[in-house]
Amino acid sequence: MGILSILLFTPAVGICALALISRHKTSQLRSVANVFATIAFFLSCWLIVIYNQEDGALQLAEQFLLNPKLGTSFALGIDGLSLPMVVMATLLTSVALLASLSITASVKSYYISILMLELGMLGVFMAQDWSLYYIFWELTLAPLFLLIGRWGGVRRHMASLNFVLYTMGGSIFMLISLLAISQYMPEHGGTLMSSMSVAAQSMPKNEQILVMIGFLIGFGVKMPIFPLHGWLPLAHVEAPSPISILMSGILLKMGAYGLIRAVVMLPEATQALQVFLVVLALIGMIYGGLLAWRQTDLKAMVAYSSVSHMGVVLLGIATLDEAGMTGAVMQMVAHGLVAGAMFLLVGLLYERTHTRNIMDYSSLVQVMPRFALFMTITFLAAMSLPGSVGFIAELHTYVGGFQQWGNLMVFLGVSIIISSAYAMRTIGMLFTGPVKSHMREIEDLRIPELLASSVLVLGIVLFGLWPSPLIDLSASTMNLMNDIISQRIK
Amino acid sequence: MEFLIALIPLFPLLAAFFIGIGNLLGKINGEAGESMTSNAAIGAITMSCILALLLLGADLFGKNATTYTLGQWLSSDSLEIQAVFITSGFNTVITALFAILLFIVTRFSVNYMHREAGFHRYFFILSLFSAAMLLLVSAGSAVGTFIGWEIAGLSSYLLIGYAYDRQVPTGNATRVYVTNRIGDAGFVLGIGLSYFYAGTINWLELNAMAEHLTMPTVTVIALCFAVAAFVKSAQLPFSPWLARAMEGPTPSSAIFYGSVMIHAGVFLVIMLQPLFEQAPFIMVLLAIAGFVTAVYSFIVGLTQTDVKSSYSFAISGQLGLIFLECGLGLWELAAWHLCAHAIVRCYQVLTAPALMHNVIGNPIKPVGHMLRNSRWLYIASIQRFWLDPIADRTLARPILGIGQDLDYIDSYVVDRAMGDPILFSRSISTLNQLEQKIMAVEQRDYDHHQFGRGNGIAGKMMEWVGNIFGWFEERLVIQAIGMNIVDLGRRIGQAANTFEELMLKPRYLALFVFIVLLIAATR
Repeated sequence: MGILSILLFTPAVGICALALISRHKTSQLRSVANVFATIAFFLSCWLIVIYNQEDGALQLAEQFLLNPKLGTSFALGIDGLSLPMVVMATLLTSVALLASLSITASVKSYYISILMLELGMLGVFMAQDWSLYYIFWELTLAPLFLLIGRWGGVRRHMASLNFVLYTMGGSIFMLISLLAISQYMPEHGGTLMSSMSVAAQSMPKNEQILVMIGFLIGFGVKMPIFPLHGWLPLAHVEAPSPISILMSGILLKMGAYGLIRAVVMLPEATQALQVFLVVLALIGMIYGGLLAWRQTDLKAMVAYSSVSHMGVVLLGIATLDEAGMTGAVMQMVAHGLVAGAMFLLVGLLYERTHTRNIMDYSSLVQVMPRFALFMTITFLAAMSLPGSVGFIAELHTYVGGFQQWGNLMVFLGVSIIISSAYAMRTIGMLFTGPVKSHMREIEDLRIPELLASSVLVLGIVLFGLWPSPLIDLSASTMNLMNDIISQRIK
Repeated sequence: MEFLIALIPLFPLLAAFFIGIGNLLGKINGEAGESMTSNAAIGAITMSCILALLLLGADLFGKNATTYTLGQWLSSDSLEIQAVFITSGFNTVITALFAILLFIVTRFSVNYMHREAGFHRYFFILSLFSAAMLLLVSAGSAVGTFIGWEIAGLSSYLLIGYAYDRQVPTGNATRVYVTNRIGDAGFVLGIGLSYFYAGTINWLELNAMAEHLTMPTVTVIALCFAVAAFVKSAQLPFSPWLARAMEGPTPSSAIFYGSVMIHAGVFLVIMLQPLFEQAPFIMVLLAIAGFVTAVYSFIVGLTQTDVKSSYSFAISGQLGLIFLECGLGLWELAAWHLCAHAIVRCYQVLTAPALMHNVIGNPIKPVGHMLRNSRWLYIASIQRFWLDPIADRTLARPILGIGQDLDYIDSYVVDRAMGDPILFSRSISTLNQLEQKIMAVEQRDYDHHQFGRGNGIAGKMMEWVGNIFGWFEERLVIQAIGMNIVDLGRRIGQAANTFEELMLKPRYLALFVFIVLLIAATR
């Protein structure tokens, strides 16, 4: 049993342990869940240590035949694309658990659901077999449906139903695409990602394009790509804030991660759709940014800013060159940290004041200086200020995009300006202005909250000032992918 | 031995910091702190004085190298600026002379300024000025000299405005400073052109390069430095600032405008002698400007009725003569003239208040017959040849007009287009208005119409596009796709339920079986 399986089954063991504890022992439940999440986080950190950065190919691979008749197998492995995502997943799960102290109703099922969600997310990022990938992909839906539907806000039922319908609808297209590729597989060929991408080459080009569109819809719903984002504002706003952290931090990345895998599998089809993708990405960035600017609800604002930031990821993927792809991966990490920190802090603020309307706030810096510091850094990172990790990501994307389309990148600049408009306005409205009487006695961040937010904010600043470890982690894999893509395109 | 040169400007600088920071922290304050302040200032300048004399002695015995390089100050691509000092020749003499004069004036000021409100401020600025002046005359590169040049100008500004609670000194200080900036512009341009054409900003290297440069190049570089020198040494047409500068405390007038700073311009010209000699046109210019200034100062000086004004015109007149000597190529004479004039004038201006006692009963000799009868000359002299009004009319007013126009464009066109909200806050001038504004904000708490509104062109664009997108999001994405999918699912589910119910009714079941049998039979 390799380290990847151990990591994958840590949350599963955690679920079993939680199942044995009585549901009245709240503090015990909390600590057990936290312990397992922390173990998973340390295991993923250990992965970074043993991961060989020079080698871009799949590492630490494990394979175990599940169904000899169909050839599906339990295949795990990591490369420079999935490793950052695995670490982010375990890190943000720990952060979300630290932020879950305010959840008091049905604690046991809550923690079980979160660990199941972690299991699903880790599975998605480590699976090297499309059928296994699909199973884990669908596995995340059930806990999320429960988490939003049971612990969410006022419109939680609508939101959870909407979310599941959208994602299921998308994943059907993904399934159809996968089935279409498997038509070209040899008998008992299985569904390994590596063998499927070989099979995909033998498809006629028009079919490749159709398959790519299927993937685009399937992953695009999750990411989300511009017209398919209808579930996101509702789900993010209604979800309890720890779940918002996980959704924006990791679940959106599942879509982008799958899309990158699909692009590497079908580069020619992607090239045919390239213009379409770029237009969608640019529209999505500006669209999300402007809608974020119009929201009075803090959480809705952060949710729409996610749409805008994931547009950058799509733009990076659509460049099909190394700088852009690196930018996309960096932006996935950056957005995981930034959106995670934003939802965390907004959630903590909401717990204290029970209002999410920006206009109710004023001059918070006087009562919550620590909160103000973290929030300001996070917002500055959201507008990708140099010195924050967002800048590194957008710079890569910008460079990649500029090589491909030149002046079209002015729209990326416009979206950065829009993001600075809402970020600066929000900072101003939250922290400055006249002191309001009902905003005078708000508690500043407590120790566990401080720990959770400082981990994220430190990550934002540290990788912003010293990005090379982050880039090096995925550089060789990006190189390899770029080689594959450029060979196939020519 | 040469390393001492770096310490000479350093001591007064440290003294200035000591006084400034002590005063800022409240440690050195009031009459009790006077001795500490004066001891620091005198101690520092004494040290500089001793070092400067040591250095001069060493130089006279030929022990000094020409320059001393402290290290690299700035390096950018091919631009490399060394922190370099000149440790021999004319610079050393002037350093020693100025150090002595600065020491004398500092000592004199201790008694003169006793119990003045700005005692500590005065000594802070004086020490800063000493450091600047000593750096100016000892620096080996244009940048070092320029740093001293600028700090000296700033100190001069601060001391003219010593009585900053009165209108006239502050106005004069600003005017003097702005006039001096013209010279600074010339200096900076000179540095830039030297680097561009000669590839160096080291004074000695520049002098050595001078003969290898083409005539127009040398002329332009020399012109830039000449303008800087004219302004600093109050030559025409920049002379009027000197009379205004006499506003400060008397010892400061003595050291700034009597002996030390006013000679910085002449010093620059004499130091750049090889450069100027390559530019005959500029030599002629030096001679003409010097001569005209001397005549002008003489005529205007005749009608002055107060001591300091008379001295100021005497000073610019003498400096005119020195420039004339430079222009005629009498460099040795000019250098001696400079030193002698610095010493004599320092004494004269320091004793200016006492002079009033001595002239009682000793009337000033009337002027000659010719001059006495020329009325127009008298008016011109009284009006100082209208130089200030002319400068106002030709320079100050048009610039002010342009400034007003630009301000108008800025606040009514650009700010509005950019949506700059500063217009609102600028209108608050009293505490009462501020409170009213705060109250208004408090009341406007839930004004949702203000949210998502943009100012300016970009802001309006954002607002409109945002509205369109918002409508699209509400109507199509959330309503049509999101909500309607749920509704549609519900309706399909209901239809399926109905169908299921119908199917389970016996008559339809029988019909179904019948149809199946029929199909089977036809096969």
